[in-house]
Amino acid sequence: MLNLLFPALAFFWQTGTGGRMSDVGNSVTHPDLSKFLVIGALLFIIGVAGVLTRRNIIVIFMSIELILNAANINFIAFSRYLQDMGNVNAVAGQVFTVFIIVVAAAEAAIGLGIVIALYRNKETIWVDEIDLLKW
Amino acid sequence: MVLSGWEAVFFWVFSITALFMALLMIMARNAVHSALFLISTLVSVAALFVLAGAEFVAGAQVLVYIGGVMVLFLFVIMLVNVGAEERGKERLFNSNVQVTATAVLGLLLAFGLVYAINQGVKGINDSRRGDDLAQQRATEQRALPTSATGDMKITADTQRIGNSLYRYASLPFEIASLLLLVAIVGSVMLARTLKQEAAADDVDPEILKEAVAASEERAELESVSR
Repeated sequence: MLNLLFPALAFFWQTGTGGRMSDVGNSVTHPDLSKFLVIGALLFIIGVAGVLTRRNIIVIFMSIELILNAANINFIAFSRYLQDMGNVNAVAGQVFTVFIIVVAAAEAAIGLGIVIALYRNKETIWVDEIDLLKW
Repeated sequence: MVLSGWEAVFFWVFSITALFMALLMIMARNAVHSALFLISTLVSVAALFVLAGAEFVAGAQVLVYIGGVMVLFLFVIMLVNVGAEERGKERLFNSNVQVTATAVLGLLLAFGLVYAINQGVKGINDSRRGDDLAQQRATEQRALPTSATGDMKITADTQRIGNSLYRYASLPFEIASLLLLVAIVGSVMLARTLKQEAAADDVDPEILKEAVAASEERAELESVSR
């Protein structure tokens, strides 16, 4: 198990070092763009796992919020990276994030309205019991 | 972008907190616990935004997500009955096949994404690595105006976002306001009961009374049959 675990951890930690294990320590004490991207990717995967495995429709909605947040992390990280590179239009990433937050709020309002209507009609929040369109 | 010093420490603290709280969120039995874990994740992500120099977005995240959306989630959790889940009578996850398939897919996705990021950042010419970049940012921050208390700097981040939002993204901004209006009207439409629906519309009171009686009868029949 440990024999498998250590290469896996090294695989994650050497992100952004170009595969040189000697740079791993430096990449941990100096996290750069790639570390933000990895955190965003892992949050996205956790969100996908939540959507695919949970039965409670409200928790599925929360997982969708998590996925949107993972995308936001990527936007912000690239915005900061471009800013450091001297790009004058780098703030566009932050503006896009604001729009994503707006869309997430609208989506949550509509989705929870649907959940309430569904609960009123079917008296269930388990997604595997909502199978009217299944044959 | 390269973080260093305390920024790096806080980066790891907040990112590991975000990941662990997200994992706890999808595994919590009680939906209210799920919501609270998601709030922890969102706070940690907001802290990551601050570390990346996006103060306005961090504030918007705290106000909109935690102050608005999560409170909405908690309201809905309290409106629907999740008692069976708390008492441990209901299964939490889908069938074992689905969970196993998701685990395999998640691992594949993780390794694929990390491999792609590894390949991608090789192409990024990050020649100004290390401390000279941090030094440059520090001098930039020293040039910012000082707040009234004298121990903080006022960031120009919000000003830049406002400029960009109103100059280059004014049409999407208006469309976003329209989207929010549609969402408000739509969620009110979806969530109201038959009685409220009929009362709002211009319906003949006789027909209305019949419809309400019929729906109540149906609900009673359903509860009896259950």
